[in-house]
Amino acid sequence: MRVAAVDLAGAVWRTLPRRVLAAAGALGLLIAAVPAATGAEPTPWQTLTLLRGVALTGALGLAFLLDDPARHLTAPVPVRRPVRQALRVALVAPLAALWWTAALLLVPSASRPPAGAITLEAAVVALLALAGAAAAVRLTEGARPGPAVAAALLLAAVLAPLSLPEDWALFVAPGDPRWAAAHDRWAVLLAGAVVAGAWCGPEPLGRRRWRGAG
Amino acid sequence: MTPTVSASGLSLHYGRTRALDDVSLRLTPGVTGLLGPNGAGKTTLLRVLATAVPADRGAFTVLGHDPATSRGRQEVRRRLGYLPQTPGFHPDFTAFEFVDYVAILKELAGRGERHREVRRVLDEVGLRDVRGRRIRKLSGGMRQRVALAAALVGDPGFLVLDEPTVGLDPEQRMRFRELIAGAGEGRTVLLSTHQTEDVAMLCHRVVVMARGAVRFDGTPAELTARAGGRVWSSAGRDPGAKAGWRTGGGSFRNVGDPPAGAELAEPTLEDGYLLVLDGDGDTAEVAA
Amino acid sequence: MSAVAVDAPVGAGTGARGSSNGALLALARFEARRLLTRVPVVVAFVAYAAWIVWHTPGSWDGHPALQEADRDTQAMPMLVGLAVLVSANFAALRPVRHGTEQHLGVLAMPAWRRTAAHALSVVPAALLTAVCVGGQFTWEALKPGAVGHGSPAELAAGPLVVLAAGTIGVLVASLVRSPVAAPLLVVPLLYLLVLGSGSGGADGVSWLAPVVVQSGGDALPSGLLGRPAAWHALYLAGIALCAAFLALLRAGGRNVAVRTGVALTLALAVAGGVLQARGAQPSPELTAARERAVSDPALRCTERGRSTYCAFPEWAPRVGVWAGVVDRVQALAGGTARERRLVVGQRIGAADLVSDAAVPPRSEPGRVTVGTAWGGNRVPEFSSAVAAVLVTGSEKAGGELCDGRMVTLMWLSLSWQDDPMDALRRVRLDDSVSGSAIVLSPTEPLSMTEGQTDVVRRLLEKPAGGTGERVKAHWDELTEPGVTTARAAELLGVAGPREADSCE
Repeated sequence: MRVAAVDLAGAVWRTLPRRVLAAAGALGLLIAAVPAATGAEPTPWQTLTLLRGVALTGALGLAFLLDDPARHLTAPVPVRRPVRQALRVALVAPLAALWWTAALLLVPSASRPPAGAITLEAAVVALLALAGAAAAVRLTEGARPGPAVAAALLLAAVLAPLSLPEDWALFVAPGDPRWAAAHDRWAVLLAGAVVAGAWCGPEPLGRRRWRGAG
Repeated sequence: MTPTVSASGLSLHYGRTRALDDVSLRLTPGVTGLLGPNGAGKTTLLRVLATAVPADRGAFTVLGHDPATSRGRQEVRRRLGYLPQTPGFHPDFTAFEFVDYVAILKELAGRGERHREVRRVLDEVGLRDVRGRRIRKLSGGMRQRVALAAALVGDPGFLVLDEPTVGLDPEQRMRFRELIAGAGEGRTVLLSTHQTEDVAMLCHRVVVMARGAVRFDGTPAELTARAGGRVWSSAGRDPGAKAGWRTGGGSFRNVGDPPAGAELAEPTLEDGYLLVLDGDGDTAEVAA
Repeated sequence: MSAVAVDAPVGAGTGARGSSNGALLALARFEARRLLTRVPVVVAFVAYAAWIVWHTPGSWDGHPALQEADRDTQAMPMLVGLAVLVSANFAALRPVRHGTEQHLGVLAMPAWRRTAAHALSVVPAALLTAVCVGGQFTWEALKPGAVGHGSPAELAAGPLVVLAAGTIGVLVASLVRSPVAAPLLVVPLLYLLVLGSGSGGADGVSWLAPVVVQSGGDALPSGLLGRPAAWHALYLAGIALCAAFLALLRAGGRNVAVRTGVALTLALAVAGGVLQARGAQPSPELTAARERAVSDPALRCTERGRSTYCAFPEWAPRVGVWAGVVDRVQALAGGTARERRLVVGQRIGAADLVSDAAVPPRSEPGRVTVGTAWGGNRVPEFSSAVAAVLVTGSEKAGGELCDGRMVTLMWLSLSWQDDPMDALRRVRLDDSVSGSAIVLSPTEPLSMTEGQTDVVRRLLEKPAGGTGERVKAHWDELTEPGVTTARAAELLGVAGPREADSCE
């Protein structure tokens, strides 16, 4: 059984869109390294914006994580899709965590925002990307929802700061009195993204259900 | 009859693999079938004739134009309808949009005229009722017909069809045969297929390829005649047969060199094809 | 075995063939229709239109200076541009994503012309943006309070940004055959956009951003803007066209026209970039003119009633509303103030687009300052300045005021307005109607003590007519320096303050 799990992990690893993820990761680190490379001393707000951009870059890569050209071929295999999707996420998660840590370390420490809070924001954006991809897989026939999900994520990332009402502000500066409240909202979003992603895991069966007890 | 397509000495190598080996052909109006096992070079030949890839050596003309020059290639492409083996589709497009898109890329003039032509070919392939439906909602057979409509749009003089009937059910295949037969009236159609029945029913001519080379070039009757006196029935499998299988009736049908006094059977095109291929690849595979 | 090639085409009708250019335009139209119906583009345009409808009615308090309003059309098209960039990129990558490249490769239209059609398909999106920009600007221009002139070059920036974004999307598709490239490219672009809109636009490098907003300062006369808007439009157009031609080159269009196009448009973009950088540095003449505009502006003066109104020529249409305020305030005053000749002069604090400098008050008697903005809070602020001059004699004296005259001053300033209590709230810095507060005016602010605020509030709650007669009757005493708030309240017939005046 253990060998099978390792084999499965290996097989799933080979199906990951690794070049896309690598491109997004590299760009994210490049963005994070801009102040260090140019010798600039950004303000806390600028560093925060920079890290938000890094998080968005990573999430854009993750939007492609569930792209599976062989999706229709693998629909009926015994290892169910939630397991395969979870395995994809699990394989990428440690790398993503390392990558995010590196990005945090790359920005100037003097103006770095609270690590926990910005990490929460990054996690939400990443999970929203994954939930979006899972939803696209669940709700459509497409095998490669990545581009559409990435476009939606970008649009949301641009529109949300422009259109969120004051009471729902998410993109606040570190010194802002709303910082804590905003991060409560981020935490709610995190929970929402996790639930949505989990709900979207199973193969779409429409209204039809398999009959008989499990 | 004057050939519409003539090719001589076409050769193409992929690395050390010889995909085409000195292929010469003349095609005349009507449907020419191209038979051969997998890997025989059929698709490569079609792609060369469709100007998708240039040949390493050799030359050919289509309707009098030489695709070796860019102007000639342009002229050939204006007269060409091509249905690739795995035609891609843009799933968001409606059937009409997709064929219209191809029509535009074929440089068909005038919006109104073009739309009329698109509607005409969609009617012709029997998609009148679903032309507004998105391709992702269409069944496999309908998609194949969309691809055929895209090949037919603009009334091309030379039609290259690469295994158009793969994956179709018998009824759809029948319908497709009708369409192809209709397309072959006045046009030169080169039809690559694994279905010997398609060839028997549709083609005025058949070319058999194996290992990149032409093994047979003649009429279907001539190909069938190759098996004359070389098909027999027996109670058990005949060890001397090149191929043999139990038929529904319980007796064995054998192809090869019959033993003396064997009970000869009526040969089919497929028997002739198997004998032509003798020694070229896995004959059992194609004798499905 | 050899075959004889036959020269004559045999039989077979080949259908009606159009010209290649006709087909190119047909494909461009086809792709344009698809581009304009992609979800991101539709969402972006809807958001853009919604923003215009939400933002424009209240912008500049209904009194836009059009040389400022034209720039206001530039920011939102960037959002449309991002959507168009990604969608045009995905459209150009469609054959790769859906595996039709092989099939399309043997059709009559070569790949580079398909790319050209994708580049052309962006044009309708840019035109639609131009319609939105035009609509927004026309709305501003039709407001009764609009003054000044818009610049076509500033208005062109928005549509050109969309055009450039689209062609860059097509170029990226021809360089990187993966749909992840465009979304990833957008992230650094976002920084460029934010940097551009946030920068002062004082150096050439910041003008490389697609849109340079420059806001925060006073509205300036057109001649003092010093924005290289035309060169910037040239720069954007150069980038848009150069990206398109590079995409053609990359897609295999190697003919002379394409090569020439690349060279020419590159030269255009570089020339635009260099010239705008030069234009971004204010010339000595411009700097001198700006300094003059602050210290001794060349104004056009007109007589209205008793007073003289001097305005920058572009603001001349606004003299009437200023005169309306002056007349109403003066009508409430008593004594000689009713007949005093005032000189209302327009002034700006700093003649650049980003500094928000205060205008020093004038010490000459009878001089009132008015800014370049109008509407909203600017009206009670100006009214207060007029009242201050009528009560104390000069703006400077008004700023130093700390006795009971403040009551009369504020009553003059506010009581004629539609909702005096609301005007009181708006004119005070902290939006309060009780306690001590700073009162804004076009120059130095005034200050109200808690007691004065209470008295003014009581006055404003009473019918204006009775108070008006008391003001006129006791004018001399009410405007006497040193009069206490308690005395003023007594004269005006309301309860006095709880504590004596004290100015910190």
